[in-house]
Order: sequence, then C-alpha cells, then structure tokens
Amino acid sequence: MKLFTAFVLDNEEIMRATNVLTLRAGQVARSASPGQFLHIRCDDGCAPFLRRPMSVYRTERDTIQLMIRDVGAGSARLVRARSGDPLDCLGPLGRGFHLDSHARNVLMVGGGYGVAPLVGLAERAVHQGMSVTLAVGAASAELIFPPSLLPEEVEYLVATDDGSAGHRGYVTDLVGERLAWADAVYACGPLPMMAALARVVRDAAPRKRVQVAMEERMGCAMGVCLGCVIETTRGPLRVCTEGPVFDIRQIVWRDEPAALGTGG
Amino acid sequence: MYVDLQVEIGVNAKVPLTLRNPVMVASGTFGYGTEYARLIDIQRLGAIVCKGITVRPRRGNRGPRIVETPGGMLNAIGLQNVGIRRLVDEKAPLWVQWDVPVIVNIAGDTVDEFASMAGQLDGVPGVAGIELNISCPNVWEGGRVIGEDAATTAAITEAVRARTGLPVLVKLSPEVADICGVARAAEEAGADAVSLINTLVGMKIDTRTGRPVLANVTGGLSGPAIRPVAVWLVYAVSQVVGIPVVGMGGIASIEDVLEFILAGATAVQVGTATFAEPRTALDIIDQLPDAVCARGRASVHELRGLAHSGRDR
Ligand SMILES: Cc1cc2nc3c(=O)[nH]c(=O)nc-3n(C[C@H](O)[C@H](O)[C@H](O)COP(=O)(O)OP(=O)(O)OC[C@H]3O[C@@H](n4cnc5c(N)ncnc54)[C@H](O)[C@@H]3O)c2cc1C
Ligand SMILES: Cc1cc2nc3c(=O)[nH]c(=O)nc-3n(C[C@H](O)[C@H](O)[C@H](O)COP(=O)(O)O)c2cc1C
Repeated sequence: MKLFTAFVLDNEEIMRATNVLTLRAGQVARSASPGQFLHIRCDDGCAPFLRRPMSVYRTERDTIQLMIRDVGAGSARLVRARSGDPLDCLGPLGRGFHLDSHARNVLMVGGGYGVAPLVGLAERAVHQGMSVTLAVGAASAELIFPPSLLPEEVEYLVATDDGSAGHRGYVTDLVGERLAWADAVYACGPLPMMAALARVVRDAAPRKRVQVAMEERMGCAMGVCLGCVIETTRGPLRVCTEGPVFDIRQIVWRDEPAALGTGG
Repeated sequence: MYVDLQVEIGVNAKVPLTLRNPVMVASGTFGYGTEYARLIDIQRLGAIVCKGITVRPRRGNRGPRIVETPGGMLNAIGLQNVGIRRLVDEKAPLWVQWDVPVIVNIAGDTVDEFASMAGQLDGVPGVAGIELNISCPNVWEGGRVIGEDAATTAAITEAVRARTGLPVLVKLSPEVADICGVARAAEEAGADAVSLINTLVGMKIDTRTGRPVLANVTGGLSGPAIRPVAVWLVYAVSQVVGIPVVGMGGIASIEDVLEFILAGATAVQVGTATFAEPRTALDIIDQLPDAVCARGRASVHELRGLAHSGRDR
C-alpha cells in the first residue's frame, strides 16, 4: 500500500453513467487483488475534499482498471478524467476476496456497480478452471453490465426491477437453486440487496461460505477515523481495514431509510 | 538560513515537552500513530495526539458515522477506543521506541474519570503529554457537553494537574458562551497549554429519504469549512492567556499554518486534511523554514501573534 500518481491511459463509457478508467499503476497493479480498492483524490481543493474509494475492477501487468458509476461530485469528476490526467491514489487497500483454490463451482452475485470487484475475480476463477456463474441485478437494462466484457466461460444471469432485461424482479430470486451447486459464493452490491442475499443464504444454505464486499462512507481508508465501521458479530469492524470483504454471516444488517414518496 | 522551529510546551511541568517543530497531528485523525507509519515518516512530526481514550473501551456509534459536507465532513464516531488499560499495555510500549512524542487525548464523563486516567498515564514510558478532551460533542452527560463552562474546566484541569507531572493541554470547544473565560480558567487551574478548536455541531439531511444521514443525527464538523472560526478563536484566546495556544481547525497547507501562527498559535495540529492528503503535515514541516524566512524572521516565535494590532511589525 502506498501513495502514488497513476496516469489515465484510457477512459471508456461501458454503460449508462458508468466508465472504465485504465490507469498506469506500475508495481501496484501486480499487488492489487479483486475486492481491494484504491482511495482516490478527485479534486485538488474541496470539491470534494475527501478521497473516494473505488474497487479494483481488473488488473493487467502494470495497469489497473476501475469501473466508476457517476453518482455525485467525486465520481463525476473521475468519470470525466481524460487520457494523460494524473490521479492521486492511495492503495491497494483492504482485504480482498479469498479465491478458494479447491472450489469447482463458483457463484457470484452483483448489484449495480457492485459487479466491479467481481469481474476480475471471475476472470481469475475461469483461469483456474472453475465453473463460474455471475448473477447481476440492476434497475433496468441500460444499467446491466455488458456481457461482452465478461469471459465467455462465465454463465451470466440477469435480473432487472422493470423487466427490461432478464428476469423481472430481484437477483436474489435467481440464486436460490444455484446455492446448492456452488462451493464458493462472492457478492457485492447495494446494502438492501446484500441483506436480502444474507436472508436467502441463511434460509437455504446456512453453512455456505459467502464472502461479501461491503460499502460504507469512508474517510481516511487507513483505519484511523473509524468512520466506515459496520456492526458485525465480531463487534464493530472497519470496512477499510478488516474489510471490505467479510463473511456474510457476520454482518449485522441495519435498516436503510426508504426514499420519500415510496410509501416505505 | 537556519530557522528555529523548536517549540516548548509545559515549561513549568515536571516533564516539559520539546517539539522539534510546531506541527502535530490531531486526535481522532491519526489513530494510535501506528496506522500511518506504513505510509509516511511519522517520526518527523512535531507530535502525535492519539485517538481520544476513555476509562473503559467503547464500541462507538452506529453507522453511518461520517458524511462529507462542503469543505469538510461531519463525524459521529462516538469515541470508539480500546480503553486506557489497553492503551497503556499495548500502545505505549510501541511509542517508547519512537522519536516523535505522543500525547494521549483523554475523555471522561466526570472529573474523577479524567483524574484517574491522568494518574494511570503519569510516568508511563512513551507518553509525552496529556490532552483533555473536555469538549467532545458526541458524548453527552445529562444532556450537556462536559466542560462547557469555566468552573467545570477548572475542576477537571486541577484534578488532572494533581495527578500528573506530564504537560497538560486542555482542548477547548468552540461551542461555549465564553471561550476566553474557559481558557483562562484552564490556565489558572494549571494547564500547560490550550488547544483549539474541537469540532462544531452540524447536521446533514438526505433529501432522498428525508432523514438525517448520520445515525447519530448530528456530528462534529471539521475541515477547511471551520478554519475561519478557528483562526478567530485562536486570535481571541491567545490575547487572554499566557500559556501556549495550539491551533487547529481546517489546516491543509503552509498558508493555513501561517494564519494560525500570526493569530497567536505557538503550535498547530493537522486533522481532517490528513485523510485527503496523508502527507499534509510533513509537507508543511518541509515548507515552514522557507515560509518563515520569506517573512524576514529567523524563528516561528517571531511570527507569533503578529496579527494582533499594536504589536511591533
Ligand atoms: C470499498 C468500496 C469500493 C467501492 N467501489 C466502487 C466501484 O468500483 N465503482 C463505483 O462506482 N463505486 C464504488 N464505490 C462507491 C463509491 O465510493 C461512491 O459512489 C462514491 O464515493 C460517491 O462519491 P461522490 O462524490 O460521487 O458522491 P456523493 O456526492 O458523495 O454521494 C452521492 C450520493 O450517494 C450517497 N452515498 C455516497 N456514499 C454512500 C455510501 N457508501 N452508502 C450509501 N450512500 C452513499 C450520498 O449520500 C449521496 O446521496 C465503492 C465504495 C467502497 C466503500
Ligand atoms: C473523525 C474524527 C475524529 C475525531 N476524534 C477526536 C477525539 O477523539 N478527541 C478529540 O479531542 N478530537 C477529535 N476530533 C477533532 C479533531 O482533533 C480536531 O479538533 C477537529 O477535527 C478540527 O481540526 P481539523 O479541521 O483539522 O480536522 C476528531 C475529528 C475527526 C474528523
């Protein structure tokens, strides 16, 4: 883990409001693994002031790729980065996914931009000869990760809220029967989706080891500010340091407030 | 040209504290000092103030605990910490081997708690000083922040003074009716320095959900957004006390440090800016000699308080 300047080599929009940034990262690229993240300065001043955490999406020799969804000031600036721009990065940070080398059948569950850390992991799993199923959920078709960017060996299951692609409904509807098949499960997505997955796992396969990459608002990403702490059965733990990847059974899920006007 | 950066805190304390330079890192923004050691050369810092410690370990607040706001952030960590026993047993032995002095920030719910922690820290190798957090906005006692008035501040400081020969810094809240009165009370009760400011209470509402973002509802505001408030209060307090004033609040650059020194600060602390740029304090230390020189002075002391009217320029 170190502070380094990464130059943007390429920036490509891959789906709505979502770009893949390719960074020249030297040695850091070799040491970064799926589930780990970089903490990136989006502005020299205060717009925004704090860094933003972004998962390692893919690595290749001395490059790191990030997949960034434009959701606010910081991510918008990253999405607008141009080739040649320097990015002030800190990383790689956190504990990534542990790819169990004995696993033969691997299930991955992603939601929204949460597929980012799963794609690189899927590539590694395929490379090691594992059978991989990736199930993703999103609001609608244009927010579904393009299948052309996935290795052909990966089975791809899709669910959308509005039914504009794949199954109409939740991605958790799709994983039930696959759980028994899978020796290892990896997940990343919005909190409510991950909480729903935890319930499905608890009911259908309570002994199944599911690794989930958690998200929380982050300050330092170095373990000092204790801002990204989540409740777990092991006590309060830092997403940046003990995570972001946790055993799904250890997470104590909290209720997220519903959006105004949704009757929730 | 040689520029004198050295700073003394607690010249009257049994164990005075000499800082190689006036730039420390603030409590709650540098953990126990060990975390950033892998990233930057922490030994070059003026001092490290560790995360606020309480008598018993605390699990802290529920999340979300932080959120960014214009020019800064709100935090409601809830003083999550390992407790004084583990600090003394596990952290202090590491600090003994460091060149950089470590000041322990303590937070009590009562005068007795402050006093007993001060007693526990006295004489512990590796502990160079004590900062009293009489102003943490997230921990309430009977609905009010402890130390919001001069009398409580005096009582806590006196009790701590009686239990330790270490330099004592009293950290002040900006959210009191009369911060100068509180500062004077701390000085009269035997404080070796006052440090200011702690965070200001604030709130952010998520317009999508209609609910406050922080589970704690309110949080402490820090970062560049609070800098003008901090500069003003350092300016005001340094005119009414004779002990060193340690200034903090939104410091992110050498310019900011100069402002605090000109306002009357003897030393400064870098807080939230470290999250954005971990090298902030070290960069400032590197730039300080030239900045002092460029203003025709040979030491930081000569710049101190120049903003006060009527001083020799
Ligand atoms: C370990 C980790 C890895 C991540 N990896 C990726 C990635 O690969 N790709 C990607 O696009 N994003 C990723 N994120 C999320 C990304 O960091 C945030 O989307 C980004 O910080 C938002 O910053 P902003 O300035 O764009 O938006 P802001 O203006 O800060 O926020 C926009 C909106 O989102 C809300 N929000 C911000 N952060 C959170 C949060 N943590 N939980 C709930 N609501 C939030 C805000 O309240 C606001 O309403 C990751 C986050 C973590 C913790
Ligand atoms: C995440 C966080 C945690 C903090 N924890 C403490 C603490 O435990 N004790 C304390 O006295 N001050 C604490 N503070 C306040 C800082 O030490 C400092 O007074 C304040 O943040 C203003 O400085 P800044 O704007 O440079 O951050 C904390 C601040 C932040 C941002």
